[in-house]
Amino acid sequence: MAWLSNIPATVWEGLRAFLGPLALTMIVGLLLTLGWVQVNALFLVWLERKVAGHIQLRIGPKEVGPFGLLQTLVDGVKLLGKELITPAPVSWPLFVLSPILVFAPVLVSFVVIPFGPGTQIRDLNVGLMLIFAFGGLGVLAILMGGWASNNKYALLGAIRSVAQNVAYEIPLLLSAMSVVIMAGSLSFQAIVQAQEGLWYVFCQPVAALLYLVGATAETNRAPFDIPEAESELVAGFHTEYSGMRFALFFLAEYTNMFIVASVATALFFGGWRGPFWPGPWWFLLKVYLLIFVVIWVRWTFPRLRFDQLMNFAWKYMIPIAVLNLMVTAVVLKIVR
Amino acid sequence: MHRQALTEDTFYLNLGPQHPSTHGVLRLLLRLDGERIVECQPILGYSHRGHEHMAQNRTYLQFMPNPCRMDYLSGLMYNHAYCLALERACGLEVPARAEHLRVICAELNRISSHLLWFGAYLMDLGAFTPFLYAFDDREDILAILGLATGSRLTYSYCRFGGVRDDVGQDFLEGIRAFIPKMRARLKDYDTLVTRNVIFVNRTQGVGVISPELARAHALTGPCLRASGVGYDIRKAEPYGLYPELDFDIPVRAGGDCLDRYLVRVLEIEQSLRIIEQAMARLPGGPVKATGVPQFITPPPGLYHTSYETARGHLGIFLAADGTRVPYRLKFRVPSFGNLGILPKLLPGTLVADTIAILGSMDVVMPEIDR
Amino acid sequence: MSADFCQRLGRRLGQRLGAAALGQADYRRQGYHLRLELAPDHLRELAAMMAEEGCYLEYITAVDRGGHLELAYVFGRHQEACRLLALAAVPKGQGVLSIAGVFPAADWQEREVFDMLGQRFIGHPNLKRILLPEDADFHPLLRDFQAGPELGGDEMEI
Repeated sequence: MAWLSNIPATVWEGLRAFLGPLALTMIVGLLLTLGWVQVNALFLVWLERKVAGHIQLRIGPKEVGPFGLLQTLVDGVKLLGKELITPAPVSWPLFVLSPILVFAPVLVSFVVIPFGPGTQIRDLNVGLMLIFAFGGLGVLAILMGGWASNNKYALLGAIRSVAQNVAYEIPLLLSAMSVVIMAGSLSFQAIVQAQEGLWYVFCQPVAALLYLVGATAETNRAPFDIPEAESELVAGFHTEYSGMRFALFFLAEYTNMFIVASVATALFFGGWRGPFWPGPWWFLLKVYLLIFVVIWVRWTFPRLRFDQLMNFAWKYMIPIAVLNLMVTAVVLKIVR
Repeated sequence: MHRQALTEDTFYLNLGPQHPSTHGVLRLLLRLDGERIVECQPILGYSHRGHEHMAQNRTYLQFMPNPCRMDYLSGLMYNHAYCLALERACGLEVPARAEHLRVICAELNRISSHLLWFGAYLMDLGAFTPFLYAFDDREDILAILGLATGSRLTYSYCRFGGVRDDVGQDFLEGIRAFIPKMRARLKDYDTLVTRNVIFVNRTQGVGVISPELARAHALTGPCLRASGVGYDIRKAEPYGLYPELDFDIPVRAGGDCLDRYLVRVLEIEQSLRIIEQAMARLPGGPVKATGVPQFITPPPGLYHTSYETARGHLGIFLAADGTRVPYRLKFRVPSFGNLGILPKLLPGTLVADTIAILGSMDVVMPEIDR
Repeated sequence: MSADFCQRLGRRLGQRLGAAALGQADYRRQGYHLRLELAPDHLRELAAMMAEEGCYLEYITAVDRGGHLELAYVFGRHQEACRLLALAAVPKGQGVLSIAGVFPAADWQEREVFDMLGQRFIGHPNLKRILLPEDADFHPLLRDFQAGPELGGDEMEI
């Protein structure tokens, strides 16, 4: 029977020899990522509904599965079964492409997320840049979808989305840069390593706050959910989308939440560092705690108005972020 | 009109009749320049059911269930107002216990209407949670009113010369338990919503109505009182039990969305005071006048009755011809005037402000459309 | 105080628009203090006067009296209880001057009267149907209108 238990190892060695170690990690990583994205979204939607429920004196989903855990799965299956409605006046190549394009960059970002000391698909030396670069692509897809929908609400939502993303990416990047110049690297592993003694949230509280606020805006979460403000724009940029196309937007939104929370964890909360447990456990715990805070904020605050949102970014967040970056640079120069 | 817009820099947006924030079936035809509103044209009538025409085809008693279906949030108050109108015209006296019960129920109804508005308004502004809290409180009121009236929304509790049935002990105890709970909740709302910086920023200085503008557009109710005019029918032309009760009329001077919000929230507290007083002095005795004819027939003439609903001045104009059927029955509904100011108020604001302003007027479309 | 203002208003109205048609009403029973019957030509003058006095237009309505419409303008006042019911008999088909220029609230009120009873208002900025569909060809509150089954008209036992 011994040869039977050797099969996985044999297959692994064979594939390794055939594809080379790098390609193999990439394929396995992709498969894991695809699986993880689904599971994560299922869990997050459940978490969101459960937390919202308890905040609102309800109990949230409870019928399907233990504690209603399978409710989102059932909803997903329902969405899969729905007809994909393509309204007649849409410009359909863009309309069809948009949900795919919004989802693809999200997947790529998983390449560099540092789940643990060795648990990472690829530790690129431009890891942080890669995430911001691909994060910026999502808004293009949203603009495409809103424009192609040929719906005024969708268009207004898309315009708001672009303006908001342009405004909030700047403080997001600037606050991340403060951390980068402290760690001296764009690689996630190096940044986490640099936080061995002290988490950066304690040296860089302003940057951490700016990052969290910017990230909430970047993921279009309340109180910054103006691109899909339901009481104003019905559903914003995805007004005309249905079925699985709508589900892809949804999936991208929740995966995005995971990614920005992961980056925040790596940049400010010591990444996978923590006592007793292995790294990935700590990493996931911190990520989901951050996401919990974001959900908590969403179900507590009203929505900002568009111009207030822009004022907030351009008049407060960006100057503070620049100042913070400059102070960091000067202090580092003096100290070192 | 639409074709012409293509050549200009502006475009038209149909906000409604199916839209999450038009509260029923209001359609606003907006001309937008980007997100800024250039022109607003409300289009009404989507829930017109012809109540005034129905009134001309049935007896006064047969029309009884209709008024509460105009403003489904102030159902009991409409019902009360309709009975009041005919009692005045016919000179009917109402027993003291019935007057007390009417006021208690009407004020409970006012609170429930304000609570629903509170929740829906915060929802308009993007905060979901207060809605559920407000509905939790409102549920208590509906349960209490259900004990007395047998219905939850469209109450026909009042009868000409009294109320339908006396209330039981469970009704009174329900109210006694409700009042402290509501007071505690008002404190929560104050900390959670009224002092929330985003909420204040969204509402302060938005949709400012001057007292002169309010008068010219015949605004009434909380919308008028937020503009610094302390006009409330319960004080100006008291009816029923109100002259004997001690309560204040909250007035704010700013005339913006925040003040309209505050006036309504403060009114909840005043309504609680009214209920407490009416409960404390609730007399015994009958709840229906004796000798009310089976077919009530007001003498020929023109009659007017004013009533303060949760939304403002409800006027009932009755042209009676001495038969058992109304010759003409007209309802002056508060939302009609309150909504009429919108085309004046909206130009120059943003789409998000439109929702904030429209929500702050607290219009009920079936009341306007009748 | 209320009585003072009402008496003063009554005197002014009497001087300007003819004292004969002005009457005190039984407020407790009828809900208004003053009742004024005037010629339709005087409506705009009345409106201007009421605006000067600081009153507000509560509503406009009309009653179909067979050959003519009885237009009813009701004015109220915020400071004290003083309600004026002004009545003007207008033969059917004859227009009256709009007061929307004096009271913006009259805009929609006049549209409603037009919609329901077919009264035309001359000088109204936008006199079209307000509650009924634009293509309706009837005025439902005229006494000779019968809602047929196609409009959901019911036959209630009276």
